[in-house]
Amino acid sequence: MPLRSAPLPRMAGHLSFMRAQTKAIGDVRPGDLAVLGVPFEDTSAPYAGQSLAPRALRETSVYFGWHANPQFSHPVDIDARQDIQTDGLHERLCDLGDISRGPNEAIHAALRAVTSKISRNGACAVILGGSDRLSQTVQSALPECQTAQLGGKLSNVRDFHIAPLPNGSTTTCNLDTAAQRAAFAQWRDISKPLFVRFDLSVFETSLSALCDRPRLGGCDLDTVVQWLSVLGQQEVSAIMLTGLNPNRPGMGVVKVGQRLMVTALLAFIYARLGFGIYHPGSLTSEENILT
Amino acid sequence: MTAAITTFQPPLSQPGFRLFDGPLRDVADVSADQIGVVGMPSDWTHSSRLGTRFGPEALRRATTFLQSMRPQGASFDPDTRRRTVPATDWLVDCGDAEITAQDVDATTQAIAAMTERLTVAGAIPLALGGDHYNSFPACLGYSRGLAKRASDACFGYIQIDGHLDFSDRLGAWGSHNHATNARRISELPNIDVSNMVWIGIAGWVDGGDLALIEKQGGRVYSAKDVHEMGAAEVMRQALAHAMQGCDELYLSIDIDAMDAGYLPGTGSIVHSGITPRQYYDLLDGLAEAPLGGLDIVEVSPPLDPSERTEFLAAEMLFRILRRFRTRPVTGL
Repeated sequence: MPLRSAPLPRMAGHLSFMRAQTKAIGDVRPGDLAVLGVPFEDTSAPYAGQSLAPRALRETSVYFGWHANPQFSHPVDIDARQDIQTDGLHERLCDLGDISRGPNEAIHAALRAVTSKISRNGACAVILGGSDRLSQTVQSALPECQTAQLGGKLSNVRDFHIAPLPNGSTTTCNLDTAAQRAAFAQWRDISKPLFVRFDLSVFETSLSALCDRPRLGGCDLDTVVQWLSVLGQQEVSAIMLTGLNPNRPGMGVVKVGQRLMVTALLAFIYARLGFGIYHPGSLTSEENILT
Repeated sequence: MTAAITTFQPPLSQPGFRLFDGPLRDVADVSADQIGVVGMPSDWTHSSRLGTRFGPEALRRATTFLQSMRPQGASFDPDTRRRTVPATDWLVDCGDAEITAQDVDATTQAIAAMTERLTVAGAIPLALGGDHYNSFPACLGYSRGLAKRASDACFGYIQIDGHLDFSDRLGAWGSHNHATNARRISELPNIDVSNMVWIGIAGWVDGGDLALIEKQGGRVYSAKDVHEMGAAEVMRQALAHAMQGCDELYLSIDIDAMDAGYLPGTGSIVHSGITPRQYYDLLDGLAEAPLGGLDIVEVSPPLDPSERTEFLAAEMLFRILRRFRTRPVTGL
């Protein structure tokens, strides 16, 4: 009997983030994670290509579409040996598509309106950039929001900075200090919306080489995963991914940056949905597969 | 002047590259205890990022280049701190297996026929991928050959990899692809899952697959285990577990266990944090292991414009084959 008789499809289906369902913005419900693409360039960036990041991130995310593939059981964090119960992920994760191209003002207005609408609905916007200049537009849509920033340039001293690009700040990228967790807890005002800026420059450059603002001495994946798990346990109104340029000269075939970001973002998504939190009595891998 | 020209013997060589610049011979001409190389230039069974069909050629080119840069005579090996000379007649390149696109069955049997022939002859098949599915036909032939050579013999299995590859099926790709190779190997008659070990697994894995492995006694070491326990200790434990009651070891080297920051030219990249040094230490841990067969897979040159991936992979082969390609000497 032949092992396979039909030609192999390489890719199939609509490209949504993690193969999530697509939704209209009016259908976003409280507790949802609503993915939104902002495929636009920063015209002062040293290289063109940031506008390709949302598509690159979605393509990479398909690999992690566990909930959409009935042949998979459920993911396990192999490092922590922790089962991630993804039941309900398909209902709570949705992809709204991209902001449409148009005049500059129209793009900003649309991003502001969509972010505001998602936030008012009690959901969390997962914004796939694109230029980090648009992050100011997201902030303006979340009145009096606090901003936690991983990587990127320091823009406001009132923000909580995790391993920003070095410019004299004393912030380190070491999570393993109670002082840093305590500092975050002290800084956080739960009466205000929380906005997370996640720039690829938070990582050590040698891990991806796909960032237009390379840095030495950045974080490793494990540290960023831990921070995003911590942040995912907060009532985050929006998280925006920036800094990825999948089209850096000569690097078009190297998909390392997007895999790095999506892997880390997964920790945020699982934590935000409560999947990554340890609950005594939750099923082990073996129990789960046998039920 | 004319005489000089007519008597000149140019240094002609066989066109193309062979692994370690070894001789090209038929599988029937490989002797016991030699390494017999089988190319598996197929990425038809990979589900997304292609290019590993160029892996065997890249490995042959890279090992030949690195070989030419190494001492040709007696020298001091700084890694082992031993004096060695290059061995002779230790490796034969048997060329590539016939790959039939869209016919996984035919490709599987073609690869297996070559590794079986080598194993029956007492040689050690070294299969060059290709995507990781090809590890199954390479091991299938080894398994058949081992059964013919020693009917009661069984083998242990170590897979260094960022992924388990233990799915039963993968979507439209069915039961035979780069996510199912270890599962198919586990179904061979002369291996038990309790003698299978995975090293370097990173990120999120399928809970059902992990549970099934561990329920049957298999052992999984994550990338974090490598960082916390050390590569040497992980491999020491892995080898002990894999060889319980077994006669030989089959080793599957998936290069993607190494962090993609170092090694981006592979189909399914992971950020394991595993460095080249740690990967080499893992392989050094098998210096005296009773290797019956091995493969190295997922080298995809088109996905790495810097070409460092194929050289890192070539160095992996230098490590794992050290005891074959060199002989210790004294008195230098």
